[in-house]
Amino acid sequence: MQDRRKNVVRLAAAIICAVGLCGQSWGIGTVELPVSSDPTVSFRIWFKVGSQDDPPGKEGLAALTAAMISESATRRNGYDQILKELYPMAAGYGASVDKEMTVMSGRVHKDHLDRYVDLLLQAIVEPALTTEDFQRHQTNAINYLDKTLRYSNDEALGKQMLYDALFANTTYGHPEVGLPTSLRLITLDDIKQFYRTHYTAGNVVIGIGGGYDPALVERLKTGLSALPPDAPAVVAKPVPARPEGIDVTLVEKETQSTAISIGFPIDVLRGDRDFYALWIANSWLGEHRNSSSHLYQVIREERGMNYGDYSYIEYYPHGWARQFPSPNACRRQQFFEIWIRPVQNEAAHFALRAAIRELQNLIDNGMKPEDFALTKMFLKKYVKHYAPTTDMRLGYKLDDAFYGIPDHLQTAEKMFEELTLEDVNAAVRKHLQTANMRIAMITKNAPALKEALVSDSPSPMTYENPKPSEVTREDKVIAVYPLKIPAENVVIVPVDSTFLR
Amino acid sequence: MNKRWVACAVIMLCLGIAAATNAGAEKIFPYAYQQTVLENGLKVIVIPMESPGIVAYYSIVRTGSRDEYEPDHSGFAHFFEHMMFRGTKKYPGRVYDQLMTEMGANANAFTSSDVTCYHLEFVADDLGKVMELESDRFQNLSYAESDFKTEAGAVRGEYMKGLSSPRFIMHETLMNTAYDKHTYKHTTIGFGRDVEAMPTMYEYSKSFFQRYYRPENVVLVIVGDIKPDSTLAMVKKYYGGWQKGYVPPQVPVEPEQTAERRADAAFKGRTLPLLAVAYKAVAFNPDDRSMAACMLLGDLAFGETSDIYERLVLSEQRVQYLGPDFEPSRDPGLATIYAMVKDPADVDAVEEEIYRTIAFYQNNRVDSAQLSDVKSHTRYGFLMGLDTPDGVAGSLVYLLAIGGDMGVVDQLYATIDQVTASDIMYAAKTLLTPEKRTVVLVKGQ
Repeated sequence: MQDRRKNVVRLAAAIICAVGLCGQSWGIGTVELPVSSDPTVSFRIWFKVGSQDDPPGKEGLAALTAAMISESATRRNGYDQILKELYPMAAGYGASVDKEMTVMSGRVHKDHLDRYVDLLLQAIVEPALTTEDFQRHQTNAINYLDKTLRYSNDEALGKQMLYDALFANTTYGHPEVGLPTSLRLITLDDIKQFYRTHYTAGNVVIGIGGGYDPALVERLKTGLSALPPDAPAVVAKPVPARPEGIDVTLVEKETQSTAISIGFPIDVLRGDRDFYALWIANSWLGEHRNSSSHLYQVIREERGMNYGDYSYIEYYPHGWARQFPSPNACRRQQFFEIWIRPVQNEAAHFALRAAIRELQNLIDNGMKPEDFALTKMFLKKYVKHYAPTTDMRLGYKLDDAFYGIPDHLQTAEKMFEELTLEDVNAAVRKHLQTANMRIAMITKNAPALKEALVSDSPSPMTYENPKPSEVTREDKVIAVYPLKIPAENVVIVPVDSTFLR
Repeated sequence: MNKRWVACAVIMLCLGIAAATNAGAEKIFPYAYQQTVLENGLKVIVIPMESPGIVAYYSIVRTGSRDEYEPDHSGFAHFFEHMMFRGTKKYPGRVYDQLMTEMGANANAFTSSDVTCYHLEFVADDLGKVMELESDRFQNLSYAESDFKTEAGAVRGEYMKGLSSPRFIMHETLMNTAYDKHTYKHTTIGFGRDVEAMPTMYEYSKSFFQRYYRPENVVLVIVGDIKPDSTLAMVKKYYGGWQKGYVPPQVPVEPEQTAERRADAAFKGRTLPLLAVAYKAVAFNPDDRSMAACMLLGDLAFGETSDIYERLVLSEQRVQYLGPDFEPSRDPGLATIYAMVKDPADVDAVEEEIYRTIAFYQNNRVDSAQLSDVKSHTRYGFLMGLDTPDGVAGSLVYLLAIGGDMGVVDQLYATIDQVTASDIMYAAKTLLTPEKRTVVLVKGQ
């Protein structure tokens, strides 16, 4: 039943595309969202290329190439001149690069549309690919990895370490920005070759939304037709090695608090009925940056241990900066993630146990009927905030085209009506578990934490102020909750040695 | 004045709403609004706009870390922001959370030096319930000491999170060095020692609420799919009984700075050197052309279209990041140029480049095209953000917090429009002087 429904959803998407909404049957594909009352026009030019296309040893090539197009000179203008032209418009364009998608996006007021489109097309079709720009982007990327990611944001580092561990030895297994060593090996010729191969008319979809004239679509198509026609080969979907038991990477660095990320691959995507069932369960367990999150209630609200605790059923980029997810980071292989924001080093073991125990409780006991009803009520309205602007709605339409599904957010609203508690709890039991996971922790004194983890030694919590008896009672259970982590599954990595491979 | 653009914006962004109190093609703010002051002093701004059944609801408390004038109480405005989610006797925190969850509201808050802002987005049908809840917590907040102490732990976690960033170290050092008396000396999250001591300040927290969370000190902004008259009637019903009682903070006046200050700070990790060159600026005043000129000067001289950016970032690539923050504050704040330098040995030379740039603007008039471009950028940048109820309300927060009135929006942009090349040169000459300067350098290991 479940699979049949999934197929129905995908078939509906196929029909919609065939009648032209996706427009991919006629040369360059288009995803359109006309909004005549919008005084601005949004662009999302999607190239089907991402860090999964980085050749081994040249990790970071896709991201560097995108930077050479979106933040660099064209054959007609130096980058300083481009900035000067865009400046009075208060407009710009930029590229986001994820594993499978590269999207050049920007938004401009209609007053400036003509010149803006000139600049956007020139950036894509006529990049200058100069040595000067290349050196700038290459150095910036290396500095980002060497300095910023390693030393300036423990949460981002923890997440990146988790992602790399989850997809080790696959095309998803490195940061999109690249690796310090491989970035140094990339040459300008590599960029030129990558550009020729992947920035083609056969590999692009034009996303456009807002108050534009239909003639603009033709102009964009004509402009992009100057790119080579071919489409490059599609990289196979990654097959991540499933964790066996709990695998821990401890990154040791001088820090007053410990950032924790937990995850494992799951085989559910948007459009699948189970995705929406898991969405409900996950919203209850760990709604992003929301006090309705159960993890937040347990770890922050009742115990005051940190700033927030959330969970996810698909990749959520830049979570520390965004209240709602960004579109255009679609992936064929997704994962489940728990994000524990930094806790005091002494409380890290306890926080880890608390989070995993709550997940296991959800799996064992399912959602309670009252939580299920409340979460459905929440989501039916909350999802309306996901795409408030033309640009965001356009982004989601591109995502729908990637997954080959009809309107994801509308489907979600429908599913929130339709799904039963049994559907949700069955999906939780089918897709979530705590026995086989990967964990990344950025912490101080990693050897002591390793010893505590592998010996499953008690991790009692102490507070500066008394807690209610139900909390202290539960603390005693959490403090000895067994994680059963074998010593050989724990790796300690000095922070200086991260990303060295 | 770029009247063509303003007129265009009014036509295009107004989306069919009849002009009311702010009608007129010379105004930048494109939506009709009603601004009302209740008898108790609460200022209410109601802005209907076309939106798919969505409303943004912003409670702007004109209190931030600036108001923490009592010794050892830095960071309290931000901490108190957390406490506002702990509920009332009628709607305890858990119940408040549950009702917000039922409404699918996007509810959050933030604090800065000049403002604490509570903001929600929700579907229009829930306006009455939201208003009941928000008016209740602003008038009847009540929390146990144990909850207070628990929340202090969350704030401590937030502080620790910040410590892992060299930018945080930079900001903390800069403010501490640039100010002697004024409360801008501490950052919004507060001094570390004060954050540690927060659990002991339960009684003080109640006094903080009594003094600052009063109607005369709050601006309520409601934007979106609403009817102004019935919305205002509802505001009167729910907020009309809120008692006056605001006690202005005794914020010390910062003595005039008479000599350059310098400080170095160490970051426990690797980072490219971070350099900040900051000058004492003037307080926000929407009528003040020198203030408006200073705002434009930052972008002209150090923005991404400036000559120094082209040279240091794009051509010579000696600097990874260069950018200004010349936004005004309620009291005289800082006009700061930030640079992230690639080679530690090059820091002094980059600093000299910054001074050479300032000298250029002190001795040369910007050309009319540059001035026109920066004005256009400022206007389009403001207007492009007004496309959702949340965007409209969010774009008004700081102006209302430091200016107190919707009139400052149009006034500020009118003043910006009047700025001349001479004003820019005057601002550079009078504000960016060595004796008003504070220089901070953060180095890694």
